[in-house]
Amino acid sequence: MARLILRVAPWLSVLAVALAWELFARSGAVTPFMLPKLTTVLARIWADAGSGDLAHNLGLTLYRALAGFAVAALAGIGLGFAVAYNRAARWLFDPLISVGFPMPKIAFLPIITLWLGFHDVSKISMVVFDAIFPVVTATLAATLAVERELLWSARNLGASERELLHEVVFPAALPQIMTGLQVALPIALIVCIVAEMKLGGVGLGGAMITASRFADSPGVFAGIVEIAIAGYVLVRLMARVRARLLAWHPETAAPASV
Amino acid sequence: MVESKEPPVKHQIVVEALSHTYRPARGREVLALEEVSLAIAPREFVALLGPSGCGKSTLLYLIGGFLPVERGAIRIEGAPVAGPGPDRGIVFQHFALFPWRTVRANVRYGLEKLALAREEQERRAQAFIELVGLTGFEESYPSQLSGGMKQRAALARTLAVDPKMLLMDEPFGALDAQTRSLMQAELYAIWQRTPKTVLFVTHDVQEAVRLAQRVVVMSARPGKIKATVDIALDRADPHIYRSPAFAEKVDEIWNLVRDEAIKAQ
Ligand SMILES: Nc1ncnc2c1ncn2[C@@H]1O[C@H](COP(=O)(O)OP(=O)(O)OP(=O)(O)O)[C@@H](O)[C@H]1O
Ligand SMILES: [Mg+2]
Repeated sequence: MARLILRVAPWLSVLAVALAWELFARSGAVTPFMLPKLTTVLARIWADAGSGDLAHNLGLTLYRALAGFAVAALAGIGLGFAVAYNRAARWLFDPLISVGFPMPKIAFLPIITLWLGFHDVSKISMVVFDAIFPVVTATLAATLAVERELLWSARNLGASERELLHEVVFPAALPQIMTGLQVALPIALIVCIVAEMKLGGVGLGGAMITASRFADSPGVFAGIVEIAIAGYVLVRLMARVRARLLAWHPETAAPASV
Repeated sequence: MVESKEPPVKHQIVVEALSHTYRPARGREVLALEEVSLAIAPREFVALLGPSGCGKSTLLYLIGGFLPVERGAIRIEGAPVAGPGPDRGIVFQHFALFPWRTVRANVRYGLEKLALAREEQERRAQAFIELVGLTGFEESYPSQLSGGMKQRAALARTLAVDPKMLLMDEPFGALDAQTRSLMQAELYAIWQRTPKTVLFVTHDVQEAVRLAQRVVVMSARPGKIKATVDIALDRADPHIYRSPAFAEKVDEIWNLVRDEAIKAQ
């Protein structure tokens, strides 16, 4: 029983918000147009799931977000190592990273659409452009912070310079790189949806904009709930991957929260 | 007590007028070693004592080839050190185990580099894990071990590759008295069994006298060689550790170390 309470406890706040939403929408203080009932919205999601619309929109959004995330992850880790180890790469990229990270990359969306058009390529490029920064900075910082005694002991035991990189630097940097990836993943989803909203078409973001144009209030709110659930599931999956990859890490033995 | 000036050819490790300055990117420069000269013969067991911060670890890092020699010279078997090599196995003061590898995989690391057959790697790794008393913890990660267990795992990892020279930085510092005594006996047996040169840093005077043929005492920072004491005890005698000769050596070295420790305050 106690265990059951512990399991549901973290969900109580979500349940409370859901309940408040339903009661407020039913109270008559707002029109159903401004705030449809949660049950109406859930029914709408159910219907969309049945008709295949949900799978279509969600599938495309996830494809764009995850494709962009994957490219950002690979390129970001590679670039992070390059900047850490190569003087020329550092000269070239270090200032760009410092200037680019705090910039709102979404402001480049009009340029990207000019160059690449309205299709998946520009949306995915936008995702890559935004999600790559936390990966590069995490990889760079982690690589530069690898304890020198770890490198020394590997060299002492006969590791070559090439082996050091994947046998010591990479695993030693992995916890921080994973943190960078965990920051990048929600960014990928957010940017993907914003780009979809701007560019329209199929996808969760595009569907919400279409619903809004047709004054389809439950459609808009359904989109929000779907995005929230998709984001939550992605973040949880990523935490699982982390625990798998970092089984050796002290944090895995004593996980912090949900 | 003064450094003997013998021709360097008969020595395996020769340190000549070695000075080392740390120049951190921020903060002040530290002269860690000043004009240190030391010659160690093949198969010799030398203990290095000195107050905290006098540069013992630094000296080991330089001989190990991890830090560049800036002033003075270090020659290993006649050739100047050029980087680390598996001929000089080091046991780090802070263990430097790979946290992402289990105890077994840590001990195996150097054996993988020797390109031994897999079964031979496993056999040797297991033998050294048993030797340091970590049987049953082969699949544990370093974060799941106590300080003393980590230290023993690091010891096994270095001993497993059977280096010609052993540079040991307080290798038993984290152990309880009992385990320490066992490990001392194991190290001594290994040293007798296989031709190894050992440079052994310790804060424990008894340990130094028990194990070493020669004890080198360093002065407070900047580290210099203050004195060298030869230990000529009959180690075949099991009661030697209770003999007056042993106590005398311990006393002699204690006095040298204490003076420096007070200066270092
Ligand atoms: N990375 C570093 N950067 C700057 N100064 C350093 C660094 N490492 C050591 N030092 C300085 O060099 C001196 C010698 O350090 P070292 O670690 O060799 O001492 P030690 O004799 O091994 O001491 P302990 O017995 O406490 O291990 C110290 O006083 C310290 O201030
Ligand atoms: Mg030290």
